[in-house]
Amino acid sequence: MPQASSISVLVVDDQLTMRALIRNALQQIGFKDIREAPDGEEALKNLLAKPANLVISDFNMPKMDGLALLRAVRSHPPIRQTAFVMLTGRADRELVQRAVQFGVNNYCVKPFTVQGLKEKIEQVFGQLT
Amino acid sequence: MDELEAIKVTFFQECEELLADLEGGLLAMEEGAGDLETVNAVFRAVHSIKGGAGAFGLEPLVRFAHVFETLLDAVRGGSVPNTVELAAVLLRASDILADHVSAARGLGDVDMAASAAMAAELAQWTDPNAAPAAPAPVAAPVVAEEAAPVIIGADDDAMDEDDLGFVFVPQTITVEAQAADAELIPSNVWTVSIRPKSDLYRKANETALLLRELNRLGPIKATLDDSALPALENLDPEAAFVTWIVRLETEQDESAIREVFEFVDGDCDLEITRGEASVEAAVAALTATTEPVAAVEPAAPPPVELIAPVAEAPPVEAAPVVEAAKAAAVAPPAQKATPVEVPGPGQSVIRVDPERIDRLIDLVGELVINQAMLAQRVGEYGIAPSSNLAMGLDELEQLTREIQDSVMAIRAQPVKSVFQRMPRLVREVANMTGKHARLVMDGENTEVDKTVIERLSDPITHMLRNAIDHGLESPEERKAAGKNPEGVVRLAALHRSGRIVIEVSDDGKGINRERVFGIAVKKGLIAPDLQLTDEEIDNLIFLPGFSTAEKISDVSGRGVGMDVVKRSVQALGGRISISSRPGQGSTFTLSLPLTLAVLDGMVVDVAGETLVVPLAAIVESLRPKPEEVRPLGPVGSVLAVRDSFVPLIDVGLTLGYREESPHPTDGVVLLVEGEDGSRAALVADAIHGQRQVVIKSLEQNYQQVEGVAAATILGDGRVALILDVDATINLRRREGGAPRPPEPSLIAAE
Repeated sequence: MPQASSISVLVVDDQLTMRALIRNALQQIGFKDIREAPDGEEALKNLLAKPANLVISDFNMPKMDGLALLRAVRSHPPIRQTAFVMLTGRADRELVQRAVQFGVNNYCVKPFTVQGLKEKIEQVFGQLT
Repeated sequence: MDELEAIKVTFFQECEELLADLEGGLLAMEEGAGDLETVNAVFRAVHSIKGGAGAFGLEPLVRFAHVFETLLDAVRGGSVPNTVELAAVLLRASDILADHVSAARGLGDVDMAASAAMAAELAQWTDPNAAPAAPAPVAAPVVAEEAAPVIIGADDDAMDEDDLGFVFVPQTITVEAQAADAELIPSNVWTVSIRPKSDLYRKANETALLLRELNRLGPIKATLDDSALPALENLDPEAAFVTWIVRLETEQDESAIREVFEFVDGDCDLEITRGEASVEAAVAALTATTEPVAAVEPAAPPPVELIAPVAEAPPVEAAPVVEAAKAAAVAPPAQKATPVEVPGPGQSVIRVDPERIDRLIDLVGELVINQAMLAQRVGEYGIAPSSNLAMGLDELEQLTREIQDSVMAIRAQPVKSVFQRMPRLVREVANMTGKHARLVMDGENTEVDKTVIERLSDPITHMLRNAIDHGLESPEERKAAGKNPEGVVRLAALHRSGRIVIEVSDDGKGINRERVFGIAVKKGLIAPDLQLTDEEIDNLIFLPGFSTAEKISDVSGRGVGMDVVKRSVQALGGRISISSRPGQGSTFTLSLPLTLAVLDGMVVDVAGETLVVPLAAIVESLRPKPEEVRPLGPVGSVLAVRDSFVPLIDVGLTLGYREESPHPTDGVVLLVEGEDGSRAALVADAIHGQRQVVIKSLEQNYQQVEGVAAATILGDGRVALILDVDATINLRRREGGAPRPPEPSLIAAE
């Protein structure tokens, strides 16, 4: 059972409010090492400079969207193992399908609750302590 | 839930930005921008507002945003064509969305009927067959009853996620491996590699101090790597060449080590690794290649399926400081390879309560005064300028000035925030008056103190309204005059001699001087036989009680005349003027100080009083020779400066300090230039030198005095007045001859 506090997370969303909310939720779950990036480009730079265990990324963002970020992460060997959870704002089956093709580890449909997010993450890492 | 309240505040701040983005995008769409990126940006803005609003349970806002978003999504997908008409509807919808945001914030109400009507209209666009009166009710996020958990990122159609039917096999990501890995290395030995950049020394930091700090954490063994040191003849004394490899034994953790380097963050390449590393390896790690992927390659991930822990991650040139995220939050990395980026709306922006900055600016102001007082005391004691004390004070002065500049820079903002509201205004006013107007903006990125920006909005709004309402002709008139039926209004910002200048110009008919003169006479503002130049007539419109519109139109009128604009601008230490050419248009020029906090000034003595003359206005100072002073008229005199004559003005006389002027050759003359470019020679008794002074508003503490811009506190604690150069020139002109530009008191007297 991995400890949430030992998993580093990068939250990617173009909206400051949303990042703050997700950070808040992650903290409630027990995560301690939480970083943020406002778009895919920044996220990739951030990850290459300092890898993370988990990326939680929005889909619709300027510059580089969540799907492009996912592809980029999977094509950079040093960070390709990063667990990737995509937030989809819309009931978009096609988007999730494509994300699955590109190797997403899980997806989470907005709106979600803290508990909902926790479950999604646990489906990737196993039960968190 | 204090934290959530804080996030809510952030949300509303962000909403303002999103609404501005939304409007910008919609205006672009209205002008024909049909590209997907614009539409997507517009969609994203509404979507983000809705998402945040959902998290805080702001139901009416969510509902309206949802209908709005649905239509935008359809436009994005191409099922609703992106037309100019649509953009006009969307713009109106964005107004109502803004109302909803304000209402959610507790500032104002929403016209629910208008909102419902708009929602219905939007729904109609999405689905022309929809019942017009019934905006689709939105499924509110389902909130579990017991704990009322916060819903994050509310969206429509709260769908059952499992419906998508994707099943994920949990990954075996063993995070414990990280700890296990770490145990193989003696836990208390660290290798710290430090490669200072030249900036580190430039900022007066010292490696020895860093080493001493490290030593406090535990015993160190430092090795100097000077292999990069060039031969003496090639040595750039300003550059940095050496690298320190420090073996540190400590029970403290990495963050404690990192803390030592807090103040040199970004000014040195820093690598902290657990365990012992050979000097060569440490240097090699610091010199990792510039190709990020390749650089990371050699250190393959550990056998477990785990991303390499931080400390083991080889550095990447693009982000030399290991903890890149932290560095980005504190300061953009000062690295040659990466151009300094303007911080985006991301994590590199720190939001600070403006009150804290104001407090900081106040304190720095006091520091400047204090430093000046100290310097003066030292001067009084006759301490040699070469003494350590005096030199230390010099350094203090420089530092103070740097601090001041840096602090002021925090508050500097591009005028964009004001400018971006203007296209909307122009559109509305043009519609209301039946004119065709196009707004051209220039210099949106010109920076100015935030306090100044806040007060720019009203004068600009008024000048723009005025330009369209009074300046531009109707399309028919323009056509008849052989002009493009669409008039151009230009709004520009630029820096000029330490001030910010805002210009609002139009290509309209210009000022009808005959009519302006007639109105001024009719209203009893000037005598009918007064001889005025064209420029003076133009400036009559700034007189109180002057309004060229026969009836107050609801556009430029709004109960405020140009005189009010002028007064509010003057209260800020600014000036406003107009120039006009018949048939070609008019230009309003507004000039304001860049900051309302400090001023570079020349300290002078006049009739026993100490005054400060703004340095920006001074062209030169000189001691006139007797033959250069020529009498002009019964009382006046002029000074020959090279090949021109400049009116001599005795400051003491003009401000009423003395009855009789001393001869100019007994004093010092400051050659000054006013805002309008006119020159004058100000006579003072003595010059004390240049000083930066902190502006203390006279209006706030006393009242406005003509000829005096503000006050300040000098080094010795005395209060000194800051001279208003333009007003002084004008005061003098009134005594000397025709008023230029006419000032109300004078004209009324005549």
